[in-house]
Amino acid sequence: MVITVEILEATLEHLFLAYTALLIGALVSIPLILLSLYNAKLASLIMRFSNLVQAVPSFAVVAVVVPLIGIGFTPAVIAIMLRVLLPLIKNTYIGLFNVDPSLIESAKGIGLTEFQVIRYVRLPNAYPAIFAGIKFAAILANSIAVLTALIGGGGLGSMIFEGLTNFNTTKILAGTLPVIAIALFLDFSFSKIEHWLTPVYLQK
Amino acid sequence: MTIKKLFDRVDSVRLENITKKYGEQFAIKNLNLEIQGGELLILIGRSGSGKTTALRTINRLIEPDSGTVSINGADVREFDSVRLRRNIGYVIQNIGLLPHLRISENVGLLLKLEGWNEEEIRKRVRDLLTLVSLPPERFMDRYPHELSGGQQQRVGLARAMAMDPPLFLMDEPFGALDPLLRTQLQDEFFKIKKELGRTIVFITHDINEAFRLGDRIAIMNNAELIQVGTPEELIFSPVSDLVSEIVDSKRKYRHIDTLKVGDMMQPLAREDTLDPGMSAESALDLMVRKGLEFAFVMGKSEVSGRVCLNDVLKARTRGIELKEVTRALPLFSSDTTLIEALAKLKSEGESMGLVLEDNEPAGVLFSDRVLQNLI
Amino acid sequence: MFLVALFFSILIGVFIGIFTYRNPKFAAPVLNGLNVVESVPDVALLVLLLPIFGIGTEPTIVASILYSLLPIARNTYTGLSNVPRVYIEIAEALGLTQREVLFQVRFPLSLPLIAGGIRIAVVFTMGVVTLGGLIAAGGLGAALQNGIQLYDMGTILVTGAWVGFLAVLLDGIAGIIESTLKARYGTWS
Ligand SMILES: Nc1ncnc2c1ncn2[C@@H]1O[C@H](COP(=O)(O)OP(=O)(O)O)[C@@H](O)[C@H]1O
Ligand SMILES: [Mg+2]
Repeated sequence: MVITVEILEATLEHLFLAYTALLIGALVSIPLILLSLYNAKLASLIMRFSNLVQAVPSFAVVAVVVPLIGIGFTPAVIAIMLRVLLPLIKNTYIGLFNVDPSLIESAKGIGLTEFQVIRYVRLPNAYPAIFAGIKFAAILANSIAVLTALIGGGGLGSMIFEGLTNFNTTKILAGTLPVIAIALFLDFSFSKIEHWLTPVYLQK
Repeated sequence: MTIKKLFDRVDSVRLENITKKYGEQFAIKNLNLEIQGGELLILIGRSGSGKTTALRTINRLIEPDSGTVSINGADVREFDSVRLRRNIGYVIQNIGLLPHLRISENVGLLLKLEGWNEEEIRKRVRDLLTLVSLPPERFMDRYPHELSGGQQQRVGLARAMAMDPPLFLMDEPFGALDPLLRTQLQDEFFKIKKELGRTIVFITHDINEAFRLGDRIAIMNNAELIQVGTPEELIFSPVSDLVSEIVDSKRKYRHIDTLKVGDMMQPLAREDTLDPGMSAESALDLMVRKGLEFAFVMGKSEVSGRVCLNDVLKARTRGIELKEVTRALPLFSSDTTLIEALAKLKSEGESMGLVLEDNEPAGVLFSDRVLQNLI
Repeated sequence: MFLVALFFSILIGVFIGIFTYRNPKFAAPVLNGLNVVESVPDVALLVLLLPIFGIGTEPTIVASILYSLLPIARNTYTGLSNVPRVYIEIAEALGLTQREVLFQVRFPLSLPLIAGGIRIAVVFTMGVVTLGGLIAAGGLGAALQNGIQLYDMGTILVTGAWVGFLAVLLDGIAGIIESTLKARYGTWS
């Protein structure tokens, strides 16, 4: 009974940590994307940087946050956010820019403003890519929220690491299984939504 | 290294009652066609008329729903399809050189798979590239994307010849090239064709190409064969309006029945003629110096006929006189009608006739040039 | 540890890719299965392997391989399946057997895509191997963990920067190999 309550609390803490970070990441990414839409140099800089950072192991990112910001909930949120920010921006950007140029031309040709082109041509075309970015970021946030327990983020990760240090299998499993359940749930539900969202003409 | 050959030469390729349907639609419908050994048969017709489908039944890229294809009387289904294809050269419009292989590797791919050794392959590839007018040392080590369209098409041709197949299938091989390049490749191909003397089935949608290259032309429409025949037959006796439309005889040959031999003959250069009393030795000398493949033999007033280089060589080795190897020629007067003259040439199996004016030789009529000048 | 993991990932991944290409009815279940593995957090996967392999390098290597299989297998499968028809047709018309078409044409033309998959696998492997420090696999991950536990800023910064640099370097090398292959084989992709 005690352990059930403990698991529930840890799970909530874990979810709150992961998705606060994801939400902030999404909010921060919007202005950056808009900026890069109008500035090719900035755009290529962001893409390069994002590709580089994606290669760095999550553990290293989480660890390096400590000397820079310290430990606790806020540094944990920042570490996760840093990690999810780049896939979000990158995917959205790719989605917005991989539009058939002739489509853009003809849209401008019939008199759409720059903003209307984004709203009615680029954005609908980018949905699948943006969505894939969100899916990837959500699963990533879940994964890193485990690691951030090492720097005082709390949640399910704490249970796992406590279990590891004390060789307490029950505790390890109590932490691990919910994390996996969340991952599978995310993967499953996102796949379903993805299927609904994909325009009929793109489905094979 | 010997190539395992299914057949050394092709005497006939026969398509009998071939039908192929895609869904409810006929791609070819009850096709009967015989390709004779050594000829170049053109398949021509609108896009979608079933040419490619017909061609591919021959190397079993497509299995017909019914009917049989046989080569030298043997049903192609009796052969292993891989073996069969290695004995048939295949060239297509978009060439399909493999982008990850160098030119030498593309051309030598089959030889390697057949177990030839490096050195034999290199030698054969060199010969083949030379044959298609690509200096081997400049091209062997390049990749396909470094070549122009025309060069790629030559490589495609060389690759098809690698195993020295007695039969070639060519699906619009020059279709993607610009007109000038196309003409040039047609000329070169024509030479190669004469040199190799292979049986070829050649698809085109260009009637001029068909006339230039084809011994016979088969016209297809809506999955069916409409008419097969020599260019002259199609022009002078089309079985339907469609055939006349395709060979465009209405427009181009409208005046043919009003034309006379004199209108179409080529002038005769007196200095290129040989005297019947000449020795074979000096005749040969003259012909080689002037680059003549054949020459007319004529005395002061009478005309004996013509000789070709080969005949003269023969005469020299056997030590016989020139007039013994001279072949007679059909003679026309310059006001004979063109149609009559062409019919006579055809019936005698000759490709040229001599034109006389007031009993004096005045010009030559070449049957193939007549058609080419008309189109 | 890194190289061993990568080596087996490539071996098994390419094998799965070829296998699923040859037996298309397995493609969806196998690739979807690997996809599920992919979504499991790396720490959780490592921990689940502990009862089977004990602590140390083995579970780390196995986890790395499990993660890396998907990108390699999926890219191999996609590459083999999507070679342009014209090359396949001409190869068949020249008289190549199905086996020769697969290994002389399809496989080399898929190399750029396979290399792309391996590049992703390099990043994954690096990530998991670093994490291995948490379950006594040693290496730079262990140094990081020590740093955090002792609150030793210097160690964390130096090790973190070094890990980051190594990862970026390896990814860069893999990227160069990938684009070389693209230039060499990939005029169609
Ligand atoms: N694989 C296929 N599936 C369905 N229809 C086909 C296929 N191949 C050819 N066809 C149809 O068969 C007909 C003949 O095609 P084809 O032989 O390629 O014509 P051609 O070479 O004369 O242009 C066309 O109507 C074409 O659409
Ligand atoms: Mg065709």
